[in-house]
Amino acid sequence: MSDTKKSVFATFGVVMAIGAVYGGVKVREKADVGSLNKATSELSTSHMVASRSNDVNVPAGDYFYELSLKLKEQYVEPVTDDQKLASGAIRGMVASLGDPDSLYYDKDQFRAFLNARVGQYEGIGAELVLSFDHEKSGAKTAPAGSGGESSPDEALVSVRDIPELKVVSVVPGGPAAKAGIKVGDVVDTVDGHWVVQSGLIRQFRIASRKFLEKKLSRVELETQRAVLRKKFDKAIYPSKAKDKLFLGKSGIVNVTWIRGDTTFTTKIAKAPSRLPGFTISGDTVALPFIEGSADKLKAFIQGKNSITIDLRNNTLGDVQVMKQCLEVLAPKGNYGYFVTKRHDSPTALNVLTGNSHPPKVHLITDRSTRGMAEAFALALDHSGLTDKEKLELGGDRFARQIIQLPDGSGYTLVTSAYQVTAPKANRGQAVVAKKGAVK
Amino acid sequence: MSKGLRAFGYTGLILGCFAFGFAWPDLQHGKLPNTRSVNALFGVKSGAAASPEQQFSHAYSKILTDYIQPVDSTNLKYAGMEGLMAALGDPHTMFLPPVAAEAFNDETRANFGGIGARLGADQLGAKIASVFDGGPAAQAGLKAGNIITAVDGKSVTGKEIDDIVSTIKGKEGTIVRLTVIQSDKPRPVVITIKRARIIAPTVDSKYLSKYQVGYVTVSSFSEPTADQFDKEVAKMETHPLKGLVIDLRDNPGGLLDSACDMLSRFVENKLVVKMKFRDGREESASTIPGFLHQFNYPIAILINEDSASAAEIFSGCMHDYGRAKLVGTHSYGKASVQNVFPLIDRSSAKITIARYYLPITPYFGRKVDQDGVFLTGGLEPDVKAELDPVTVIDPDNPKTDNQLWKAIQLLNPSGAATP
Repeated sequence: MSDTKKSVFATFGVVMAIGAVYGGVKVREKADVGSLNKATSELSTSHMVASRSNDVNVPAGDYFYELSLKLKEQYVEPVTDDQKLASGAIRGMVASLGDPDSLYYDKDQFRAFLNARVGQYEGIGAELVLSFDHEKSGAKTAPAGSGGESSPDEALVSVRDIPELKVVSVVPGGPAAKAGIKVGDVVDTVDGHWVVQSGLIRQFRIASRKFLEKKLSRVELETQRAVLRKKFDKAIYPSKAKDKLFLGKSGIVNVTWIRGDTTFTTKIAKAPSRLPGFTISGDTVALPFIEGSADKLKAFIQGKNSITIDLRNNTLGDVQVMKQCLEVLAPKGNYGYFVTKRHDSPTALNVLTGNSHPPKVHLITDRSTRGMAEAFALALDHSGLTDKEKLELGGDRFARQIIQLPDGSGYTLVTSAYQVTAPKANRGQAVVAKKGAVK
Repeated sequence: MSKGLRAFGYTGLILGCFAFGFAWPDLQHGKLPNTRSVNALFGVKSGAAASPEQQFSHAYSKILTDYIQPVDSTNLKYAGMEGLMAALGDPHTMFLPPVAAEAFNDETRANFGGIGARLGADQLGAKIASVFDGGPAAQAGLKAGNIITAVDGKSVTGKEIDDIVSTIKGKEGTIVRLTVIQSDKPRPVVITIKRARIIAPTVDSKYLSKYQVGYVTVSSFSEPTADQFDKEVAKMETHPLKGLVIDLRDNPGGLLDSACDMLSRFVENKLVVKMKFRDGREESASTIPGFLHQFNYPIAILINEDSASAAEIFSGCMHDYGRAKLVGTHSYGKASVQNVFPLIDRSSAKITIARYYLPITPYFGRKVDQDGVFLTGGLEPDVKAELDPVTVIDPDNPKTDNQLWKAIQLLNPSGAATP
C-alpha cells in the first residue's frame, strides 16, 4: 500500500470513527426522547428531578419512567415489579374519572368480569353495579371543591358521593335467584359489614341541621349519631362488597338487602351459575350478544313472519355482536347514534346491507336489559320493527371499551352513549348528562 | 494479518465508537446506559407484551381520546402518578401535585400564621378540639366543640382535615373569615379573625385528686416539649401520686430529638430508634445522660390511631424498656422517614427512604390497601380500650373517657374502685 493510500485510508478511518461517535450520540437522543416534540427533548432522562424551571408539560410516558426510576433508586425496599407500578398508575387514572361504569379490575375481578360477559357467573350469580341513582332523589349535592360562595345550609347536607351497590340482573336458578334476590335490590351489609352509603350520612347531616334549628331533640340526634357510628365501625366500600358477592365459587355470605322501604337478610352459598345463552323455545329466542349469536339468529328467523326476542339478563353485551344482530333483523338504514360529550361528530349506528324482509319483532325486556341490549331494543323499537309495546329498560345506554393488561388485570372505559335520534347540540348533551353528574 | 480479519477489526472499532457516543450521556455521570435506552435502540419491546411504560402511555392516550367526555390531561397524568406510588401500599410514599407540593413546603418552612386552635375531623367540616389561651381564636370567642363549616365563604364540609387546616393558616396579619356552628347560637355565625404567629403549648396537665393520679397531655413533640413536660410533672408531684397518665392520643408526632429528650427523663444512654436505609446503612438515636428523673409511681400512656411518629417512638420505647403500659387502641404506624424529591413541573415525589426500628418491638409500619384502608401496623396497646363513640367526654369526669378510665384503673385499682 502506498503512503498516500495509507493516509487516505487512515483519514477515512478517523472520519468514520468520529461519525460513529456523533451518530451514537444522536441515536441515543432519539432513543431517550422518542418522537416527543422539541421542547421536551432537553429533559430526557434523570434531568427531570431536582430542577425548578418554569411550568413544563412533561409527557406522561417520561413522567412514568422518571417516577418509577426514582422509586427504584430511593424507596426503602427494592422495587422490581414494573408491571405493578403500571397497573397502579392505570388504576389511578381510571379511578380519577369518578365514573362507576369506567372501572379498573384487578386480575381476579377482571377474570370474573370477562366470564360474566359470556354468561358464566361465580359468587352469588348476579350482576352488581355501583350506581349513583340514589343521588338523583337525594338532596342537592355540591361537588367537593366546587368553590364559590355557598350557604351554610347547603354545606351542611353536601356529602361526597359514594355509589350504592345494586343488583341489575340475576342469573335464573343461580344462588341469588334461589335466595329471592331481584333486580333493583341494594346491598346494605355483607357479613356484618355495612356498605358505606352517602344517603345515610346525608340523612344525619339533615338531622344535625334540624337539631341546630331546634326542630329535633338532642336525644334523637344522638341516637342517629350512635347508629351511624356503629355502622362505620364495621364498614366496607361498595367495590369491596362487590368482590365479596361477585367473586369465588364456594363459601357462604350473609347479606342484608334493601328493597324499597324494607330490608331483609339472606344467607347465600356461592356457586358457579350460568345464563342460558342463546336459547330457542318455539318462536321465542333468548338473545345474548356474545360470539356466534348473530349466525344463530339468522338461522332462527328463516321462514318466520314474527318472532319474540328475550333481552332480559342482557347487561354486558358486545357492541359488535349487537350490530351484527341488527344487520340480521333490520333493513338498511340508520338506527341511531353513539354520541359523546366531546366536540366530535356522533358515530351513526347504520345497517349496511340488512334484511329487506324483516320479521315482526316482539321484545321482552325488563330492568336487566342494559347497555348494548338496551340500545338494540331502542333501535328496533324506534324504527317501527317491533309491536311498539312499552319497553322496560335498565337505563344504561353506554358503550364501553374493554382493555386487558398483560398481568391479567384490565379496565373498562365508557366511550359513548347511544341515542335513537340525530343529535342536535343540546339534545346530545342531555342524554350524556349523567356522566357529568357522576364527576 | 488477513484482509477479512482487518475489516472485522475496523468494523469493531467503528461500532465501538458508536457505542461510546451512545453511552456518552451516562458515561459523563459515571454510569452505563440504562436498559430502556438500549432497548429503544434495538426496538426491543420487553418481550412479547407491551412494556409497563407503554401500557401506561397507551392507557393515558386512550382515556384522553376515547373517554365519553373531555379529560384534563394534566390531572389525568397526576392521577396516574398517584396510582403508581399507591401501588407500593405505603401510605407515606406519594405523589404530590404542584398545589399540594407547595403546601408541604410552607409547612416545612413554618413561616405561617394561624388562629391558635387545634382542629379535629368532623362530618360537617372541622371541629375545634382546643383553643390556645390568649390566641386569636380565643379572643374571637371560639370554643372547643365549635364546628367550622366554611372558610372565607367556601364550604369545607367533606374536606380532609389537613386541607381545612391549610386554608385556615396563612400569612401572619392577614384576615380569615370562618363560618362556625356554636351550640348556643341557632344558626352558623361568621367570625373574622386576624392570623398571628402561634406558639402552640404542647403539654398540659391536670391532677385527678379523687384517684391521686396525674394526667399529662402531650399534643405534639416540638422543641420546648421536654421542658414543658418537666414543669407539668413537677406540678403533679406536689400532690400525692399513685400513678401518672401520659395522654398521647391524637398526637401526630413531631421532632425525633424532642422524643429522645423526653425519653432521657426515663432511661439513660439507651437506644431509641435505629433507622435502616435500603442500602443497609443504619443510623441510630439514643437518650442523653444527665436528665434522668425518679418516677416513683407507675405510668400509663394513652394511644390511639392518631398517635403517630415521634409519639409512637416515645410510647414504643417506654413500653420496650418496661417504663409504661400502653392503653387504648393501636397507634397509626408511622415508622418511616420520607424525603421529598421536587420534579420539574413543581410537583414532587414523597418517598419513604428509611425505616425506624424500636429497641424490641418489631417493625410496626402501617400497611394499607389501594383504597387507603388500614391493613396492619401500629403499636399494640397492653390494655385495649376503644373509645365509647356515644358518650360525650366531660373533662371533669374521667369516667366519661373510658380509655382514661382504664388507665386510672390500671394505676390505682383501689382508688378507682371507691365510689
